[in-house]
Amino acid sequence: MIASFLLTLRALVRGRVVVLLLGAAGLIHFLMPDVVRSDGTAAGAFEMHIRSVPGSVATMLLLTLLTVACGLFAREREDKRLALALVRPASAFGIAAGKWLALLAVAAATLTFSAVLTLAFPPTHPPQTGNLPPCRHHYAPSLPPPVVTAAQMLESYLRDPQTPEAVRRASRGAVLTLLTTKEMDRYDVIRPGETNVWPFAIPALEEQMARCAPLVLRVRFSTQFEMRTPVAGVLRLGAYSAVVSNNTQAVIDIPFVSPTKAGVPVAPVELSFVNTGSSTVMLRPRRDIEVLTPADSFAANLLRAYLEVWALAALLAAYGLFLSAALSRPVAVFTALVTLAVVLVAPSAIAQFPDEFHASLGDRIGLAISRGIQAVTSSVSGPSPISDMATSRAVEVVPLLRTILGNVVVLPAFLLALTAFISRRKPLADVD
Amino acid sequence: MTGEAVVEIRNLAKTFRDFWFRPLAAALRGIDLSVARGDVFGLLGPNGSGKSTTIKLILGLLRPSSGTVRLFGLPPRDRRARVRLGYLPELSCLHPFLTARETVRYYAGLSGLDRRTTRERTDELLARMGLSAQANRAVGGFSKGMARKVAFAAALVAHPELLVLDEPTSGLDPLATRDVKELIRKLAADGMTILVTSHQLFDMQDVCSRVAILSQGRVVGGGTVADIVAKSTDPRHALEDYFAAAVGATSEEKA
Repeated sequence: MIASFLLTLRALVRGRVVVLLLGAAGLIHFLMPDVVRSDGTAAGAFEMHIRSVPGSVATMLLLTLLTVACGLFAREREDKRLALALVRPASAFGIAAGKWLALLAVAAATLTFSAVLTLAFPPTHPPQTGNLPPCRHHYAPSLPPPVVTAAQMLESYLRDPQTPEAVRRASRGAVLTLLTTKEMDRYDVIRPGETNVWPFAIPALEEQMARCAPLVLRVRFSTQFEMRTPVAGVLRLGAYSAVVSNNTQAVIDIPFVSPTKAGVPVAPVELSFVNTGSSTVMLRPRRDIEVLTPADSFAANLLRAYLEVWALAALLAAYGLFLSAALSRPVAVFTALVTLAVVLVAPSAIAQFPDEFHASLGDRIGLAISRGIQAVTSSVSGPSPISDMATSRAVEVVPLLRTILGNVVVLPAFLLALTAFISRRKPLADVD
Repeated sequence: MTGEAVVEIRNLAKTFRDFWFRPLAAALRGIDLSVARGDVFGLLGPNGSGKSTTIKLILGLLRPSSGTVRLFGLPPRDRRARVRLGYLPELSCLHPFLTARETVRYYAGLSGLDRRTTRERTDELLARMGLSAQANRAVGGFSKGMARKVAFAAALVAHPELLVLDEPTSGLDPLATRDVKELIRKLAADGMTILVTSHQLFDMQDVCSRVAILSQGRVVGGGTVADIVAKSTDPRHALEDYFAAAVGATSEEKA
């Protein structure tokens, strides 16, 4: 493994891949901020900077690693060097793992370089002059998983004698998927004078309250016909409170008034909203309301976000090596890029057809394939570390560790074992 | 020669197939071979006779369609067999960006040698090949002869008991060819078993103790070089005459 690691590292260094990656990362850091334009606000400038600079570095790194990995085995096989290595006692898995580790080392070097540049030359218009914005934890209402609610809804429909026969005959999975989507977009309606409550499970809320930390509520009120209407009311979360006086159809951040004295919340913590305005307002509890609590510094969030990008790079490198063992170099690169495009497009394809009962057979087949791809590749398409960083959303540690376990340990181990198996099975000689 | 078989091939056949598993070419049609410890065994034959396929089957790079290959009594893919094997491919397919020293060390690493042994063996072999002065130059800039010497050093780095040489003098100038032949003789004198394929019959007659001649996937002749020379009317061209007679006879049979 060490021999293969050193060989690949030397190939990447002497083949100028490392220099090109670091050079490109440097250019992106120094040129991109002058190219992209934001909406003019400090927060917008910060978001554009993060999306364009670390975002471009991550994209460039991932695509480069994938294409380089696609050539590593294929090229050695075509040049007959792989045969020379495989007659040695070293295991094919060790050879593959060595190559993969070298790619990971290059990814780590590029991301470290980019992180240093990001911290050394921060966005020019931070929201608070001179300081990078701290990141915040985002908590949604603590509701049962949408699929559980959907299953309960389905059971109640099936018990209802008025439910149409077509629903009873439809596939349970398809109806559940539809109901889950509906549940995600379900609105709570709050009429004038009414109060609505949503349960929240915020792990460190007691501690936040004890030190009177500033909490923010991010909310988007709506109306039945999506008209812009004044909204007024009072929000309460334990000892915190806030007054709402704004309009619907806009995402608004409402800072809670810090409690005057430390309080201890009564479990479960509930967020209540009293509609004191004259209009009926609505919001989707699973999409439109979040409590933001202080997390840690931008630097710590950058580190976690780049760890997540690195984990993604690890998975893509292993996938590239797997393709490289099975296919020729151009075919492997083509397959890798097509796969990546399909993985990125699958969620959009699903979003296009939320109601598959009204889709054609062809669309339904496409939808089923897209759902399958999304389920299998959720570890690739799911995390959005750059987007989180750009919106000052904390990259949470537990999901990050889960991503690292999946993308750096489990999936690569499986892919590298397949790579080793194929490289041993695939004939290394043509017709004599 | 002790008589113990280092390589044992029984009824070995290999048919290459296309994507749909339809037969494409029968490279070997049931051959039997045995290479004894200490032999310098020449595997000879015209182009397309099955020499390289036989070598790749011995190395475990291909799987036989039928028949068996045993190295030291073990399957070729067994790690214990591969530990005792050295291989010099037909082309000196080395990584051009590595120096001579790094190349030898890389193959030492793949053979599982520890760091100290690797360092000592690398220096020793580069000195033996006359490459000490060029040890830190990238092999991409080497001549064919020098690259072949580096490949030899890489093949020998783990003290193999069996050395498989695929066309070791191919493309080399006369001086480099002489160096390679001299090296084979020295290794044989040290007791190493060597299996070598080549089209250069003069060279083979110089270095081999036994030969087998392949034609159209079958063994069509063979024996000790001493016997072949003893029976020949022209000892200088003994192997060439024997080869022509064996391969010619097969071609005529086919016609």
